Amino acid sequence: MDQTETSQPVTDDAVLRRIERLQLNYIASIDEGPLDNWPQFFTDKCLYTVVSRDNFDRGMELGVMRFESVGMLVDRATATQHAAVFAPRIIRHVLGPALVDDTGDGYRSRCNVVIYQTSPDGDTVLLMAATYDDLIVEQDGVLKFKEKRVIYDTHRIPDSIVYPL
Amino acid sequence: MDGAQTPGNSETDIWSEAGTTRVPFQVYQDADIYAQELERIFYGSSWNYVGLECEIPEAGDYRRNFIGEREVLMIRKEDGGLSVVENRCAHRGAQLCQALSGVAGAAIMCPYHQWTYTLEGELTGIPFKRGINGKGGLNPDFDMNAHGLVQLRVESLNGVVFASFDHEVVPLKEYLGPDMTKYFTRIFDGRGLRVVGYERQVIDCNWKLQMENLKDPYHAGILHLFLISFGLFRLDQESKCLVDDSKGHSVLMTAKGTEEGKEDTGGVRIAAPDFSLTDHDLIQPRLEFPDNVTLSIQTLFPSIIIQAQCNTLATRQVIPKGPGSHELVWTFFGFEDDDDEMKDLRLRQANLMGSAGYVTLDDAEALEFSQVGLSGSPTGDAAILEIGGTDCESNDHLVTESLIRGFYMRYRDIMGHGKAGD
Repeated sequence: MDQTETSQPVTDDAVLRRIERLQLNYIASIDEGPLDNWPQFFTDKCLYTVVSRDNFDRGMELGVMRFESVGMLVDRATATQHAAVFAPRIIRHVLGPALVDDTGDGYRSRCNVVIYQTSPDGDTVLLMAATYDDLIVEQDGVLKFKEKRVIYDTHRIPDSIVYPL
Repeated sequence: MDGAQTPGNSETDIWSEAGTTRVPFQVYQDADIYAQELERIFYGSSWNYVGLECEIPEAGDYRRNFIGEREVLMIRKEDGGLSVVENRCAHRGAQLCQALSGVAGAAIMCPYHQWTYTLEGELTGIPFKRGINGKGGLNPDFDMNAHGLVQLRVESLNGVVFASFDHEVVPLKEYLGPDMTKYFTRIFDGRGLRVVGYERQVIDCNWKLQMENLKDPYHAGILHLFLISFGLFRLDQESKCLVDDSKGHSVLMTAKGTEEGKEDTGGVRIAAPDFSLTDHDLIQPRLEFPDNVTLSIQTLFPSIIIQAQCNTLATRQVIPKGPGSHELVWTFFGFEDDDDEMKDLRLRQANLMGSAGYVTLDDAEALEFSQVGLSGSPTGDAAILEIGGTDCESNDHLVTESLIRGFYMRYRDIMGHGKAGD
């Protein structure tokens, strides 16, 4: 995606640390749970989408998940915990450093992420190599995701994607 | 063992009875049986899905795909027609095209030694064919015409492309039969198609378990707690399970909102009672076909599924990857004349399907449970398929495994595993 003309690299360490803390708390809500906390990281009206790099490069928006409100995120968190059948697993996100720009409408943060998945037998596989492309805004003094696009390279997914990413 | 045995061929004696109410666990894990399946089914007299015409609109466009474990290219020819060739150079066997799809241009060229073929697979160019200064090169009697790419027979039905390694195979419509053609063209009605997007997942279970899953309405009202919780699928819905004359193809359909009163859940555990859905668009389809059917799943032998759940339409191609694994490729599609609201519905309702789908993630998990569970089972152990009786007939209810029994009737006949009907 092109950067808008007005966007400026963020150099303020305090802002960068707040954004890093947001990302770390976000992945902890998935890796450590409880998953009920996951929707709280988003603004009420938001876009959360998980799209393969293959679709993205072809200009196709189809995602394995696509949620447009906190309500839809709550539905996913609830369904995952109460209305899905799957083998137990551990999810582990590893984040790279973020490039952060101030767009005027919020902070745009882009970072690499790899996500591992471990089975009950103890086998760890790479679920996906991906990037987060996020738009972060401040709401009542709290940073939240207005947009989070997970764009994943690993478009031959091993089995299924149970948890959000 | 008794019943249908082929004398002198012990490996086909695995079926304990003439019918298909017992499926030996060996068919999901035996390497020899798997090799036979590739030869007799995928490389035999079957029509295999290779893609949609809208994926290759311009001359020279290609889409790479698999039939069994062999790679093929679906190509748009200069005259607008279609060709399907094996993606393997006649020279030394190198893979010709690596991208999932792309532009071959006017010719297909092998990257290794630049042997060049027409879009139909005829060999037209060999670098240094005559050598240099009269030295080296090919023997002058080398017959270019005899060394083209492996060409497949190809047919398209309303924009959906099928290919066969057998040039003597019956025409596609005859292969599908009149009933299956009717349901196929209910969705593929001749309108222009557009691809909404792809999903791919590797599920570690035998390919046939995936096909069984889509022929198994019995599981859908039990395993899929999401569907049950929101009344998207109830085992008491108005429904049809149709098996074609060949027994290998089937359609499963239900209409939402036709059931009355409280469901007899048959003892199924329902999810948290206070669980209500915030986003109702997800489960409120816009009827787009001339009937009240909100779920239809068509399975065509051997390995393609056509899904219409609410407004999420997709082909699901099952690609075998050894006895214990397969790849599932989802091509979500819509129509060229979709309005903006329908485009949004297709994207939003895709949350139900695919590798993270509210519905289908359960399937991928349960299918791996099956493969793990049956692995290493003693010879003679078999799956039980007696829900809904022992026959392979069509039904007007969902509590049946007759579609799976039908699949194995066709399978046994093709595999030479005794005469299933004896």
